Parts: sequence; C-alpha cells; structure tokens
Amino acid sequence: MESIISHEDWKTCFAQLGPALLLFARRWTNSRADAEDVVQEAFVRFWRRQHSVEDRGLLYAMVRSTALDRLRSEQRRSRREVVASLDQDNHCEPVFAPEDESQQLLAAAVERLPDEQREVVILKIWNELTFAEIATALSISQNTAASRYRYALGTLKKMLQPHE
Amino acid sequence: MNDFSELEADLKKLRPAPASDELCRRIERSLDLPNELPTAGVLPGMQTRARAGGWRSFAFGLLGVAALVVLGVTFFDQTPMTPKVAITSATPPVVATGFQPAGLSQVVYSGRDEGLVFPPNDSSPLRRRLRYETRETMRWRNAQTGASVRVTYPVEQVVLTPVAFQ
Repeated sequence: MESIISHEDWKTCFAQLGPALLLFARRWTNSRADAEDVVQEAFVRFWRRQHSVEDRGLLYAMVRSTALDRLRSEQRRSRREVVASLDQDNHCEPVFAPEDESQQLLAAAVERLPDEQREVVILKIWNELTFAEIATALSISQNTAASRYRYALGTLKKMLQPHE
Repeated sequence: MNDFSELEADLKKLRPAPASDELCRRIERSLDLPNELPTAGVLPGMQTRARAGGWRSFAFGLLGVAALVVLGVTFFDQTPMTPKVAITSATPPVVATGFQPAGLSQVVYSGRDEGLVFPPNDSSPLRRRLRYETRETMRWRNAQTGASVRVTYPVEQVVLTPVAFQ
C-alpha cells in the first residue's frame, strides 16, 4: 500500500484501490453498474479536490456519502425500492473472484454477514484501513469499529465450521 | 485476535472482482473535463486538466457564463415574464435581441449495454441498463449581423428499459 501513498498518478492509485472501492460501494447499490457509478463520482470528486491519498478514510467516506445521496434521490421516486436495495439478497453478480471451492464458501459467508459487520471487514481486510480510518469513513468510534470487526470474524468462523 | 489470524489470512487471499477497463476510461474522461463548468464548444480532448490549469478553466467558465447570459436575454426577451433579466444583463439588449434559435443537434457517440438490472421484488419488471454518451450543440443566429453563437456540451444518460420476453 506504500506505493499508492507516494504516487501522484490516479491510474496507479485506482488500479490498486478500485476493486476494494467497488466492493465497499456494493453495500448500497443493486448492481455492479450502479456501484461503478458511485465509485466513479466519488473518486473523481476526491481526486479533483486534491486530497492526499494518505487520507483514505476520507475517500471511503466520500464513496459512502455519494452512495447514500443516490439512495436518497431514489427514495424520492420509490421508498420501496430503496428498502429493497439494502437487502443483500439482491446482489446477483459476484463481488469476489474466488479461485477454488474453499474461497467460494468464504466469499458466500462474507456476503451473508450483517451489513454493519461486513463493511468493517471489507474496509479492514481488502482496503487495509486502520480502525481510526474506518471510524472516519463510517462516522463511528474506533471502539465500535474494532468490536464490529471482532464480531464479524467470530460470525464468519461459526459459519465456516463444518456442521455435525 | 490471535484466534482469527488464520481466518484473516484466508480472507486476504480472497480477491475482490477487478474494476472494469470501461470504468477506468469513464474516470479518465471525467477527470479530463473541467470542474463542473460549461464546456462552451470545447471538446474534452482539447481541454487542459482542471488540476493543471485552473485559470484556463476559470476563463472558459467566464466565457460560458457570458454566452449563457446572452442566450438567456435572447430567450427571456421573447416572453413577457422576464423583463428583469434583460434589464440586469450587462450585455446590450440591442445585440441580444437579434439572436434567434437556429438549431439543435444531438450526436450519440457512445452507447453501451450495461446488462440486466434485477428487480428488488417480483412486482417490478426486469430492466436493461443502457448508457448513452451524447454531445448536444445549440445554435443561435443573428439575421441582421450574421453573427452566431454555438454552445456544445456533453450529456451522459442512463436509461432503464423494461425487458419483455415472449
């Protein structure tokens, strides 16, 4: 991740952050295309304002606020669709690229995590954010971020235990 | 946290689906455009990056605003509702009133099928998501002086069309 911080080229930065940003944006969107729109808007806004790439918590906060703005905009059209869009069961397209069966099981388990736990895991594991940065991105305390992460790993472990 | 180190390692091996090349191209195009200012006839490829030449974007913006003021005066002069706009404008009304709309062209230079959008519930129809990138050009012409004004701006539309199966 060090190479991103020192790099001024947005392409290099996006090549490394893009997949994880999309993964993060999927929580609030119905399709991958919607998630791409959110990431595009937030990333362009972030880059144009010349924020430091070190300030990744802010980048994720912008992705989150952009996604929520879009949700509110849709809410004006149809409240029912917004509620449904928060339902993870609607995510039909794969968000991971599993290489074998065990990774498929793990990806499916991550998809089944409660939203609040899932977003912390995504930010911690695939975006390599610190708990302080996660707290900034999600507007929660560091302790809350850390406890959600622990709960998420506990939940995942239970899900992956073989049934007897 | 040590209990979870193996699980964390497994999670890190799992890779998110990669971003598409098309998304990178879209971001590149967006970054090439000036920062939310009217493009007043300037093609995106000819523009300087907003980060590199802020004063140029500002100058383009001023030009765009001036053009819009002239066009606004032209339009509003034709309706009884808007005498205030003409009065407050710095542009001489004599020049502005001579302009008449001369045409509107819309060029679709990119259309892309982004696939099916699955409805959140069974009651909504299945829809297809289409993205169109167009360039619209509006023209006004002053018949007395022969002067013309042209404004070109990019438009991006996302259209959701119902899909019907037979």
